[in-house]
Amino acid sequence: MSKTGKKWVAMAVVGMLAIGAVGCGGSTTASKDFSPKYASDTEYKLSVVGTYSNFESLESAIERFYEHYPNGEIVYTYLDDYRNTIGPALAGTEPPDIYVVQPWMYGDEHFAPLFDGAEVLSDPSLQMNLDCIRPGIRWEMENGDVLTLPVFATSYGMLVNRDIFEKENLQVPKNYEELLEVCEALKAAGYASPVMGANTNTTPGIGYAFAYPMFAQGVKDDRSIEADLNNLAPSAGEAMRESLTRLDAFVDAGCIDVKKCTAEIEDDYNGVIMRFFEGDVPMMLCSGDVVSGTKKRESKSEAFLEHPFRYDFYVAPSGDEGGYYMDSVSILFCGNKNSTNLDMTNEFLRFLTSEEELGLMAQEKRLITPTKDYSLDEVYASLAKFPEKRTINFRDTEILDTAVKEFRAAAYAVVNQEMTVDEAVASYGTLGK
Amino acid sequence: MVFAFYRGCRLKKRYIVIINILIVGLVLFIIAKYANDRATESNRSSIASFEKMTTTTEQIIANYLEDEQHLCDIWANYINRSAEAGEPMTVDEAISYIRKAKISPEISGHLIYTDDGSMAGISTTAASTDPSDYSVNYSHIDVLDHLEVSDGDGVVNLTRAYTNPQNGVQSIAFLNNVQVLDSDTGAMRQGLIIRVVPVSRLEQKLVFLKGEYESVEISLIDWNGDYMIHGKSLKNRNFFEYFKSYNPMSAQEYNRVVDTIRSSIGSMHIRNSKSEDSVIAYTPLSGLESWYLIAYIPAKELTESRSIDWLLLGIVTVGLIVLLHFNLLILRSYNRKLTAAAEAANQANEAKSHFLSTMSHDIRTPMNAIIGMNEMILRDSKEDETLMYAESIRTAGNTLLGIINDILDFSKIEAGKMELLDVDYNFASLLNDLVNMVQRKAEEKGLTLELDVDPAIPGILHGDELRIKQVITNILSNAVKYTKEGGVVFSVSSNRCEAEPDSVILHVSVRDTGIGILPEDLDKLFVAFERIEEKKNRNIEGTGLGMAIAQNFLSLMGSSIQVESKYGEGSVFSFDLKQKVVDWEPLGAFDAAFKRYLSERKQYTAQFTAPKARILVVDDTEMNLKVFVSLLSKTKMQIETADSGDAGIALFRRNLYDLVFLDHMMPDKDGIETLQEMKACKDTPNKSTPVICLTANAVSGMREMYIEAGFDDYLTKPIDTDRLEAMLLRYLPPDLVEQATEEKEEAKSKSDALQSILIVSEDVGFLKRLRERWSNRYNVVLAKSEEQALAYLQKQEAIDSERSEHE
Repeated sequence: MSKTGKKWVAMAVVGMLAIGAVGCGGSTTASKDFSPKYASDTEYKLSVVGTYSNFESLESAIERFYEHYPNGEIVYTYLDDYRNTIGPALAGTEPPDIYVVQPWMYGDEHFAPLFDGAEVLSDPSLQMNLDCIRPGIRWEMENGDVLTLPVFATSYGMLVNRDIFEKENLQVPKNYEELLEVCEALKAAGYASPVMGANTNTTPGIGYAFAYPMFAQGVKDDRSIEADLNNLAPSAGEAMRESLTRLDAFVDAGCIDVKKCTAEIEDDYNGVIMRFFEGDVPMMLCSGDVVSGTKKRESKSEAFLEHPFRYDFYVAPSGDEGGYYMDSVSILFCGNKNSTNLDMTNEFLRFLTSEEELGLMAQEKRLITPTKDYSLDEVYASLAKFPEKRTINFRDTEILDTAVKEFRAAAYAVVNQEMTVDEAVASYGTLGK
Repeated sequence: MVFAFYRGCRLKKRYIVIINILIVGLVLFIIAKYANDRATESNRSSIASFEKMTTTTEQIIANYLEDEQHLCDIWANYINRSAEAGEPMTVDEAISYIRKAKISPEISGHLIYTDDGSMAGISTTAASTDPSDYSVNYSHIDVLDHLEVSDGDGVVNLTRAYTNPQNGVQSIAFLNNVQVLDSDTGAMRQGLIIRVVPVSRLEQKLVFLKGEYESVEISLIDWNGDYMIHGKSLKNRNFFEYFKSYNPMSAQEYNRVVDTIRSSIGSMHIRNSKSEDSVIAYTPLSGLESWYLIAYIPAKELTESRSIDWLLLGIVTVGLIVLLHFNLLILRSYNRKLTAAAEAANQANEAKSHFLSTMSHDIRTPMNAIIGMNEMILRDSKEDETLMYAESIRTAGNTLLGIINDILDFSKIEAGKMELLDVDYNFASLLNDLVNMVQRKAEEKGLTLELDVDPAIPGILHGDELRIKQVITNILSNAVKYTKEGGVVFSVSSNRCEAEPDSVILHVSVRDTGIGILPEDLDKLFVAFERIEEKKNRNIEGTGLGMAIAQNFLSLMGSSIQVESKYGEGSVFSFDLKQKVVDWEPLGAFDAAFKRYLSERKQYTAQFTAPKARILVVDDTEMNLKVFVSLLSKTKMQIETADSGDAGIALFRRNLYDLVFLDHMMPDKDGIETLQEMKACKDTPNKSTPVICLTANAVSGMREMYIEAGFDDYLTKPIDTDRLEAMLLRYLPPDLVEQATEEKEEAKSKSDALQSILIVSEDVGFLKRLRERWSNRYNVVLAKSEEQALAYLQKQEAIDSERSEHE
């Protein structure tokens, strides 16, 4: 063997050892932008409580946080009967350090301790990058304090099967007129119900997903009606007329076969997703929360596994100029200002408050990110740069839950032809009952 | 040869390197395998310990849960005994009792009504949000749904971990049924007493585990996989859902895993949420129905204590590589020495070859003159005394030539260049030659040479006639040499070879009445240059090579010499030799034929004449030229000579020759150079004339070298007249060759001039002596028997009759 040959053999053996040694090491995926405030060996134990029975996206974020602070533990716990137990929990012997709140809780006396006990995240000493949150989603109290960190945003619209549109050589409709044309074309191509959805009076239901954003836009444009609506004044029902009329026309135009929807979609969540994965529904009305369940169910749908297709979320094009984007908050985190480990509680919230972390969590949960960057999840790419004038932000209206229920009931009645639009408008205030 | 050996060694060096690498690889493999086996064993042991820890933990937890249930049962029993005794307790009284009975402030008791489905009641402690509020409501918590609470002793009625509606603390509940009095209605109500214990209290019981396993997480799950205690790494509210999410598998496999966890004690590897290898150990909680303990640990923590010592492995690897390099250095050093030794040996070998070549040449050159000129004396002299001297010279010359040939043969054998050349041969002719060679020596020593030849031996055989002849000649010569009186019996017989139908086995045996061989000397017999009893036999000529060569030849032919000897009485040398048969015609009575041959032995006569043939002989030794010309004088060929290469070339260019004989070793221009120039000549009439190398160089490999150099054939000196004439017959154009009629006529006239005498006797020796005495005066015809005599006479009469008719 030549001298060179021997060198090669020796180098190869040593090289293999070196590779083996290197191979024993781990890789790091810690957030690039986060710079820890405390020593990395700080010991801590935090608890997070919430309404999700499983919160895998948070647990992934916790794992990433461990890369900066490995000597601690953050436990997420689902609280049974959250409405009734979060209050006692905060006042109890094992209060959580971080807890979930939702917009509807604000103003309800029952939940006042949640906001009263919340850390002021906008305190400059905490150095939280709240600017990464979309302004419409960032929840500032009347005094300007920010008590909550939006974790996920949601909206109402429709899932679009892009493969069908490509196959039929159609563009996703941008306004109501285009929607009618597209539905016509799809029907001609054999799609009996070009649009489908859950025939329920819940938020993911047909009427709500299609017409509520239009209704909310009306309230946003004329907030003088808001008080009457919240007080369930019958006269306020007129505010629903435009959106209910459009909904009625939409159903009458044959864009959606309501009976087919009732027969084939068992519920407003799992049923919607699994029916959409059958692959023959061009547009499926739903909420963003429904979209969040799609990722996990792809592997559970035999039809989708056999014939996978690309799909995206779009705002339903109910208006003449286009659809209306309800930029709503899904859940928010509050830091317990009475936490026994407040520093690390705030440090963890500071860690989460970045486009990257919130984006990753939203991507994993497949909900809409509360940050300005929609790019992490292609499904919601259509929401980027949506016209501001047709966007109804979280704080643009203050329609109370009771008024919302009235609208949902009216929409359900119109969709199912239980009432005419006039009857529904006239019945405002009594529909929810 | 030595260089070839050295090259072989260099090749072996490569093998040694490969073997070294293989050994290094093997050692590393064995170490790795050993380490891996140890690691596997260690891992198995770690997992077994982990499983053991799990069962120990299970017992602690089970005992604790049973204790808690027991305390709950005491509460229930007290309340129920009161009811049974006719003094039922109201809810307030029951709660008051429990408040007094419970010791730990962490633990609370809830009593709720179940008979009206309200699942509402009173707690021993106030709500955390309102110190005056003791009411409790489970209607929005599904923890009690579908839960069947048993009253049996020892039965643990336990819930999953749930949120205590009073204080929001994750808790577990121990349950029992109670009968209480409704103070408002006075009716007996069915209720549920709930002993609420924070999960953290149970978790504290497991702190001891942290010492043994840093990352172990204990979970307690119910039949559905819901947690009582939830390990933080198990990222799901339900263990089985978690398992399914991160360990994709078929429904069947999944069900099998679930069944295994529910029904047995053991462990398994699973993937966690980060797709890392993890181990779970599982065991049912004894005494509890449908509760299971799951101990989770990252596999790397169990395998961190593996026995693989990577540092040791690395050191061994480096050590072996160093050893490999060291071996290569040593090998290189040996190779250098080997190269030097090989070169030295090569030089020595070349020197030896040169010496042999020179010796052969230098001895053969004068020998050529001696034997050649002596042959001329034998042919031409009429004086008995001169002929006797010349005969002695021929004998001595042939002996000397035999010694040289033996040395050359041995050098060929030693070089491994001895090859057999199989030809078809006449067995009678072979015997003739053999007996011819030995007969004379035997007669000179007054020994009898008896022939015992099987007449059934096939006439024409196929084999290396020359080497067979050499072998038998050696044996016969030795027999004659070492026998002082008595005689030698030469026997040859044959048997059909059963295995090969076209072959026979020749059995050759030579029996003598010689000095015999001591048993201890038999081993030396076939050793080169060894002579047995050297001092005693020093007057007997020989190199000690003959038998070694014979044995080697036979070995090449697949046979060997067998020796039987009695010291002082004689020896028998024999061997069996397989030969292919070309013609099965039997040899017949060889004795008679041989005797006839002997009787007809006469002086040399040329095999042919070729007066028109032109021969050119080139040799720098004048005597050799003379010998050549003299030996062929009877052929009447036109022989021209040249004493140098240049002179030869000049003649070659000018005259047409039918054959050219060219010496090799000549000064100025040797034979090969001369040949090359001759071949390069364009203006010669001899373009197709064969050129034969006539050389005294007879060492091994020379024939091949001369043929390769361009010669058509090769003839060694001293010149054997018969071979020379045979070669001429082979290469001369047939139309130039004539029968040697004149010689025949001369012989015939001589024969006719003499009176013929027929002698009949069974005594062969007597017949021979008479023939020698009368051969000059009579044409002596010998017959061993009357039959032979009559046969001769009949034949002679027929010839005479024919001749007279012709005349």
